[in-house]
Amino acid sequence: MATNMYRVGDYVYVETTPNSPYLIRRIEELNKNQTGNVEAKVMCFYRRRDLPNPLVQLADKHQLATAEDSPLATKLKKTWLRTPVSEEQAAQAVLDPSIAALDEERTSPTQTSGGGGSATGNSSGNSSGTSNNNSSSTGSGGGAGGAGNAGGDAEKGEALTSKQRYQIKHRELFLSRQVESIPATQIRGKCSVTLLNETESLQSYLNKDDTFFYCLVFDPNQKTLLADKGEIRVGSRYQCDIPAKLKDTATDDRKLEELESLVWTPEHSLTDRKIDQFLVVSRSIGTFARALDCSSSVKQPSLHMSAAAASRDITLFHAMNILHKHEYSIEESMSSLVPSTGPVLCRDEIEDWSASEANLFEEALEKYGKDFNDIRQDFLPWKTLKQIIEYYYMWKTTDRYVQQKRVKAVEAELKLKQVYIPQYNNNGKGNGSSVKAGGGIYNGTTNGSTDLSNNGKPCESCGATKSSQWNSVSSGHSTCRLCLSCWEYWRRYGSMKSATKGDSGDGDAKKKSSSAASTPTATSAGLATTPTAVVDLNDDEKISDLTNRQLHRCSIVNCGKEFKLKTHLARHYAQAHGIAISSGSPRPIMKTRTAFYLHTNPMTRVARAICRSIVKPKKAARQSAYAINAMLVKQEFTNRISGKSQAEIKKLLLLKPKDRGSVTKIANRLGAPGSGPHEWLVLTPKDKMPLPAVVSFPKPPKAPDGSLVYDRVPNKSPDVVAVPADKDLTIIPTQATSTIRKRAHEEQQLNGTEVTIVPSGPPAKRPNKDPMPSHCPSPEQFAAMMAASGQPLSRHHLNGKQKIAQMARGGNGRKQVISWMDAPDDVYFRANDTHKKTRKILSAVDLRRAARKPWRTLPIKPAATEPSSRPIESQIVILD
Amino acid sequence: MQSHSKKRVCYYYDSDIGNYYYGQGHPMKPHRIRMTHNLLLNYGLYRKMEIYRPHKATADEMTKFHSDEYVRFLRSIRPDNMSEYNKQMQRFNVGEDCPVFDGLYEFCQLSAGGSVAAAVKLNKQASEICINWGGGLHHAKKSEASGFCYVNDIVLGILELLKYHQRVLYIDIDVHHGDGVEEAFYTTDRVMTVSFHKYGEYFPGTGDLRDIGAGKGKYYAVNIPLRDGMDDDAYESIFVPIISKVMETFQPAAVVLQCGADSLTGDRLGCFNLTVKGHGKCVEFVKKYNLPFLMVGGGGYTIRNVSRCWTYETSVALAVEIANELPYNDYFEYFGPDFKLHISPSNMTNQNTSEYLEKIKNRLFENLRMLPHAPGVQIQAIPEDAINDESDDEDKVDKDDRLPQSDKDKRIVPENEYSDSEDEGEGGRRDNRTYKGQRKRPRLDKDTNSNKASSETSSEIKDEKEKGDGADGEESTASNTNSNNNSNNKSDNDAGATANAGSGSGSGSGAGAKGAKENNI
Repeated sequence: MATNMYRVGDYVYVETTPNSPYLIRRIEELNKNQTGNVEAKVMCFYRRRDLPNPLVQLADKHQLATAEDSPLATKLKKTWLRTPVSEEQAAQAVLDPSIAALDEERTSPTQTSGGGGSATGNSSGNSSGTSNNNSSSTGSGGGAGGAGNAGGDAEKGEALTSKQRYQIKHRELFLSRQVESIPATQIRGKCSVTLLNETESLQSYLNKDDTFFYCLVFDPNQKTLLADKGEIRVGSRYQCDIPAKLKDTATDDRKLEELESLVWTPEHSLTDRKIDQFLVVSRSIGTFARALDCSSSVKQPSLHMSAAAASRDITLFHAMNILHKHEYSIEESMSSLVPSTGPVLCRDEIEDWSASEANLFEEALEKYGKDFNDIRQDFLPWKTLKQIIEYYYMWKTTDRYVQQKRVKAVEAELKLKQVYIPQYNNNGKGNGSSVKAGGGIYNGTTNGSTDLSNNGKPCESCGATKSSQWNSVSSGHSTCRLCLSCWEYWRRYGSMKSATKGDSGDGDAKKKSSSAASTPTATSAGLATTPTAVVDLNDDEKISDLTNRQLHRCSIVNCGKEFKLKTHLARHYAQAHGIAISSGSPRPIMKTRTAFYLHTNPMTRVARAICRSIVKPKKAARQSAYAINAMLVKQEFTNRISGKSQAEIKKLLLLKPKDRGSVTKIANRLGAPGSGPHEWLVLTPKDKMPLPAVVSFPKPPKAPDGSLVYDRVPNKSPDVVAVPADKDLTIIPTQATSTIRKRAHEEQQLNGTEVTIVPSGPPAKRPNKDPMPSHCPSPEQFAAMMAASGQPLSRHHLNGKQKIAQMARGGNGRKQVISWMDAPDDVYFRANDTHKKTRKILSAVDLRRAARKPWRTLPIKPAATEPSSRPIESQIVILD
Repeated sequence: MQSHSKKRVCYYYDSDIGNYYYGQGHPMKPHRIRMTHNLLLNYGLYRKMEIYRPHKATADEMTKFHSDEYVRFLRSIRPDNMSEYNKQMQRFNVGEDCPVFDGLYEFCQLSAGGSVAAAVKLNKQASEICINWGGGLHHAKKSEASGFCYVNDIVLGILELLKYHQRVLYIDIDVHHGDGVEEAFYTTDRVMTVSFHKYGEYFPGTGDLRDIGAGKGKYYAVNIPLRDGMDDDAYESIFVPIISKVMETFQPAAVVLQCGADSLTGDRLGCFNLTVKGHGKCVEFVKKYNLPFLMVGGGGYTIRNVSRCWTYETSVALAVEIANELPYNDYFEYFGPDFKLHISPSNMTNQNTSEYLEKIKNRLFENLRMLPHAPGVQIQAIPEDAINDESDDEDKVDKDDRLPQSDKDKRIVPENEYSDSEDEGEGGRRDNRTYKGQRKRPRLDKDTNSNKASSETSSEIKDEKEKGDGADGEESTASNTNSNNNSNNKSDNDAGATANAGSGSGSGSGAGAKGAKENNI
């Protein structure tokens, strides 16, 4: 239980891809996001393998310096620590050419590895000489991490120390101040990362699983290393001048009286009891004073409240001061509490402020937060800042604040202190599809007890021939198989348990692993494509793991796609999950579907001119749905253009202006003064107005009392009941019961269901829900509808592009907001001939009625409709 | 045991100090000092100590440590003229962590004024324990603000103490490294700074085990780098042996303890897991040495716990037991939902393994062994110190003859009480021994007593003999008291046989003062 409870501040393993080593992170924050998932803000630690090679060498140099106690080493250390800037520059200098020389390294790997190896060998060699027990070279530890190291490593027959030296490199991390967000579900276990202390032996890290150390801070952006250490500066500018101790005879000129004033002393004759009594008296006097005081009696109508107000600390402090002032004489103090002017009344800020001031303060606090200067300036200029601050801290004890705090507490609920993550079942995943795809686990179906051999091949790392499970770590062109324990080691520590053939140096190990890390970049397409983990002994391909680090990974459960660029991820979020992510740039994440333009080239223009008869541009302009037969146009165009010369074509391209006369002339004519009021401008008298043939909205009959009588519009159309009976009218699509009918047409399109739409207003836009209110559902309603249907939003393939839809997590019922992307579709209804015919059949009254109440079915004679055999898609045109 | 070792406690507080406000969202809240004060009143601790309102430290006093320029800058900067000081603000690191707020300079004046006045008070032996919760701003540098601290009241206080005390020990139990104080005294052997702090990717970044001082001050800076999650037991296991060792080898004449409460569990900035009790144990332990003792505040950013902690530590200083139930006060609601004095630790993991602490401790012991064992010099100094003080005190009493002094005289009369209690105080010391015995005593005994202590003692004795101050008695005293209570040396030397008669360890400056007086008279 406790092991699966992760807290802020814990160091954890994080799995981003199933077949690469874990990442090591420190939890900085745990936040619950709106979908109820926990997101962890984590601080990144880097392994040696994640660092560029030159930096690792620098790190080794540093370690060499710190590992030793010799004066030389301390000097080294000091130069290192004193001049972090210059060191940084050095690192930079080393680094830059090195990046350029990566290719070179690829061809001659031995060189660099040799360098790295020698550096490390150097360091441990030196440290082994010290009494510190500091390095891995203390010979004892066969047990260091060697639990599963059963296999005889003839080839790696070096001394144990060198193996430990090799392994300790896997325990070194580099802190970065980089923070990233991961879904908490990626957490795979706890580990411990501590700042290496020189008193500790490295051995102690090897002896404990999952322990790491760091000494240096790595900046992944600048690619620099820094010692995590401040400095105590030495010099007259930093130290103080120490005063000499005064001689016997000398006396300090300090006068206590100038330094302090006594407010209370315990040296008095009063007993505790007496003091308590006096305090009670002073409180009673305070209560009485409040009873006399008009403003107080308004504020504290009840005696209890007066007494409570009189019991505040200010009264007590005052009482104590009075006692002291009167040299602890109760009598004198008492009489000073009740001077001739009336009983003493001590009020602190909370009592002193009027209700309106309090309201002002709360208002101001809401507006400005705790910027008391602004509050004072704009709201309470007659108060001093100190008064306001004192009031604020007292106000915090009031109910008003408690209420506000409750609101805050709800917000704070999203910030978690700890999170429980159930044990991650490795096997379940291991046998899952992702590994199958890559053939990651050999004999993955083991029942645990039986050890399986791996086609006679030993484990690449430890040489064991039997293991309950074989895991493959593979690269593009070669794989190697590891036994379970080595595989686990590899995932935790990011390297082979023991150095493999031919390369004991750390440089090579690093190289290997960095190449391993390069694969995730290649697999950004998704989980299923290729297995990601690689350790390839001979592969010197070297892509810095940093690219891996910066892979942006989709945090949606079951997705986990990776993208090189953040913008790609954002687009992925928008497209696949419907989450709008505000990116820094003002550019929209993705294009809207309507954003296109038509580029007309000269040939098109010629074609328009030549094939005017086929194209019918005027008609096309009026009816956007009018289909131009492009094939025909093409044919005609080629026919006609064939005989034409270049000049003729050019001529065609010229714009022939139409002479409609000058606009100014017309304007002048119309605006010419003196022609008097035109006849057409004179109003027709009301009684001479032509009466309409049909009155669409005749006045309802008058009731006897003179008021108008309106028909009650029935809530439910009786037609609906009638419709099913009316077999010939195939108005309601078969799946009409579905509540998510808004997208009925699209479903139909997808299902290919043949549905005859009888012209009943614009049926495609709305579901046949009766009575349908005449407004679109709000996005929230829609979301609710979607959620209620328990069905993820249908994705509508339009032009091969996925439609943007709001991510809906199946049935968790949380409120969801539809993104702007999900606005109603750009859809209109295109009437075909059948529809047009039907329209003609309908009487004008019916048509108008249909227009007004589109959800109503139409009383059409069965004979009038010819059931269209064409699927509905022909009638719906989706603008894209 | 507590009730036996009653001390004269002076407490410094200005009622204005709670009303300074660092700014919106800033974790440092001087209001915690007022909350502490109100708790003290309602717990009835207020009436048991001398309460002083400190003066406002002058620029002159501040420049005893800080550079003139810096103090001038602090004095003139205000929120409304900040724009004119852009360059200086950068230079003096004022702005982000250390914002310019209304009354900034006054706040510094009050905080520093309290510590300076307290130090003078101790110098004049007018008190045994002084408390200034408004002080403890240990990050401030000579001409640089840092970590919410502008004026280093601790350094100013220690400088004051150094006028009368050959060696001053500074202990810092804030979760942050006390870099300002360490830096100020990095090259002197008269001040030893001991800081227990979280180290590693943590403000201020200093405080490595290897930072041990420089020049004459080499080995006089002691840093105990710790990791997240220190709990009460672990803290005690490192605090007690190290402080004992430091007391033994350094033999300070006065102690300053910075009681930063951000090492408590649940602190907004801290990452330790101490409870109020564990924190208070440090105070208790240091107090047992009966040295002139200055307690200052410091960090602490979960203010309800800060005021709990400092209230409790005041009660420890007063040796008064207080109820776990918090008394009603103006800020009672802050202490919900339990309204108790003591807090319980969280279940965070302690990353400090006992091996780690052990190794740190051993390394520090090695360093401390490097200290020049010149008890002769030290002991030579101590009697001087004491005699000086006495004569001063007498001078004061005789000459000044002011009211508070006459008060003091009055207070001297019941001093018999004190000496009584001091005798009983040994009992306290005995307790102390058992207290240590709970955890680390066996090792300690070996290390301190048998190995070094004996050799040191002998050299001490020699030196003393050379000094020729009543050698006979001292030999026995020294050997008796040595490892436990070095402060005794002072009184022993002063009072000679008197203290001896008191079963080997007089203790406390009170007795010392008395004895010395008798001698002088």
